[in-house]
Amino acid sequence: MRIAITGLGTFLGQHLVQRLQSRKDPPTVVGLDLKRPLRLAGDICFHDIDLTDPVADTRLAEILRAERVEAVVHLAFRRFPSRAIEYDHDLETLGSLHVMSACAAAKVRRLVVQSTTMAYGARPDNPNFLAESHPLRGHPGAHNVQNRVAVEEILRDWSPRHPELELSVLRHCWVMGPSYFDRTVEFFEAQRIPTVLGCDPLLQFVHEEDLLDVFERAAVESHPGVFNVVGRGVVPLSTLLAQAGKRALPVPRGLLYRAAWLASQSASGDPPEGFFDYLRYLWVADGELGWAEFGEPLYTTGEAWSAFVGSRRMRRYR
Amino acid sequence: MSDPTDNVVPFPSRERGDDRELRAALRDLRSEIDRRFQAAASHERDQTFDWIQLFDELRHRLGTAGVAERSSEVDEFGFDVLTLVRSRVLLDFLVDRYWRVDLQGEAALPADGPVLFVANHSGLFPWDGLVFAQCLQRERPAWQRTRFLVADWLVTLPFAQPLLARFGGVRACRENTDRLLRRGRSVLAFPEGEKGAAKDFRRRYQLQRFGRGGAVRAALECGVPLVPVGIVGAEETHPILFKSRLAGRATGLPFLPVTPTFPLLGPLGLLPLPAKWSIEIGEPLELVGIDACAAQDELYVSRMNEQLRARVRELVARGLERRSSAWT
Repeated sequence: MRIAITGLGTFLGQHLVQRLQSRKDPPTVVGLDLKRPLRLAGDICFHDIDLTDPVADTRLAEILRAERVEAVVHLAFRRFPSRAIEYDHDLETLGSLHVMSACAAAKVRRLVVQSTTMAYGARPDNPNFLAESHPLRGHPGAHNVQNRVAVEEILRDWSPRHPELELSVLRHCWVMGPSYFDRTVEFFEAQRIPTVLGCDPLLQFVHEEDLLDVFERAAVESHPGVFNVVGRGVVPLSTLLAQAGKRALPVPRGLLYRAAWLASQSASGDPPEGFFDYLRYLWVADGELGWAEFGEPLYTTGEAWSAFVGSRRMRRYR
Repeated sequence: MSDPTDNVVPFPSRERGDDRELRAALRDLRSEIDRRFQAAASHERDQTFDWIQLFDELRHRLGTAGVAERSSEVDEFGFDVLTLVRSRVLLDFLVDRYWRVDLQGEAALPADGPVLFVANHSGLFPWDGLVFAQCLQRERPAWQRTRFLVADWLVTLPFAQPLLARFGGVRACRENTDRLLRRGRSVLAFPEGEKGAAKDFRRRYQLQRFGRGGAVRAALECGVPLVPVGIVGAEETHPILFKSRLAGRATGLPFLPVTPTFPLLGPLGLLPLPAKWSIEIGEPLELVGIDACAAQDELYVSRMNEQLRARVRELVARGLERRSSAWT
């Protein structure tokens, strides 16, 4: 079995390689990224490729064909949405398009695409549990979420035209764990957390180990379809903060969105709504389908949060 | 659902002498506990007052204030059992003393749930849902607590949404109703929706249009009995004299209600008035051929919907006839 991973340098990419290589029948891993990651375990075939390159699809197809790749795991998405909105769009949307056409050209058997439950959008009229069939409405104020929505829309049209290729789309919620790091984790690492006054949404997390389990199984076994990858249980934001000993700073919505404007613009180039609306409305995904397909997750939402909090507890005193 | 009394193991009968010995031992134990408690208390009194300890204690209390108020996990709809336990005294006071709720027709209820209740809606705040859930909990303690559906505008209101969720309120939509019913939880729906809650006092107890038959369809698809409920008295808790859309737009609400006490008395005016309530549970609606196919039949659904509305109206009318005054 030969598996290619795009976005090798991401957290998921690096840990997935370790997971795959520690299997009893280790598959050959072909790593694809902009540059070779510094820490790279074991022997993997690495190729540097820029997915934003207009001819990236031809080059990628050549690599996939030369390496006789059977499955592609597409993880080249940004964990930190940057101010370069154009570049993010090129990388996430057009990059995915390149990966899709390269897979079709190289006759790859399986494509696994990372997505997020944030793509459902934080809306006041969401039902308490969003099933996979719920329309992806995204959030106009979060460009990385909009990119994922665009990718999924393209995939929905593209997949029926390539029936020989089995496609798994894994929508995971916010990830928590001892070592995972992204924009959300960075936000929750602070001791004082600004929240929207009067809103206390139910949040759900997935533990990084559970997420890796799912990606590993999707890469090696056949699981075609769209799945929400979430932990069991929901916990209100206020309870999470209280359990972690963090202090909530409730700010009225209008004031918060004005005060956070500059910080948000300089960090991600988006208005603050793009993040804080996800702390305002419900956007809990229904994980039943994913649990039935990939098995029961090891950690619940509360346990994933505790793992995150526990790992950060002593870091301040170092 | 099994009867909870099934699991109770009968206490083994004892000999007469044994019993006496046991009682003596228990008495000794009690006196010992009392003695030690008093010793500890007097020991504490001897000490000089420790300000530092008090400060630490207060700081600790402040730090854990959030944790102590709620259980660490809520159920999947945000319902918190601990909130309910803590507010039971208040709820019991409201039901027994303040509104003197008179529940009727509960004998006709099926022995076990889930059931989809359909009631007339009234009042700005979903007191009717909360009170009905509390009354039903007493009648059918073995059932899981009934959840009441909440209109959209309350869900987006700051502070209201988390609070309602803790007490068992769920946003009204088909996905939520189906999920609750499929997991064996009874649901109280108000098909009138916002139109029912927002009608002014002149049109009290006039049943509004019953949506598009979502309740009937949910009952058919989930295969649960559909039970009409008439709630009388909730209309007088917040009598809306008139509504101001202009003032409402400024505050972000669909309209600003003017009641005899609000906004005259400020936030105090939001307290509900002590009307006398009566709740009547009707016979379940006969749905022929309970299955998902019937739910596709538009004509059948709309006919059943109209029938359901007639039954609720009948229950409300009967409740109004029975009472002599709104307050006694």
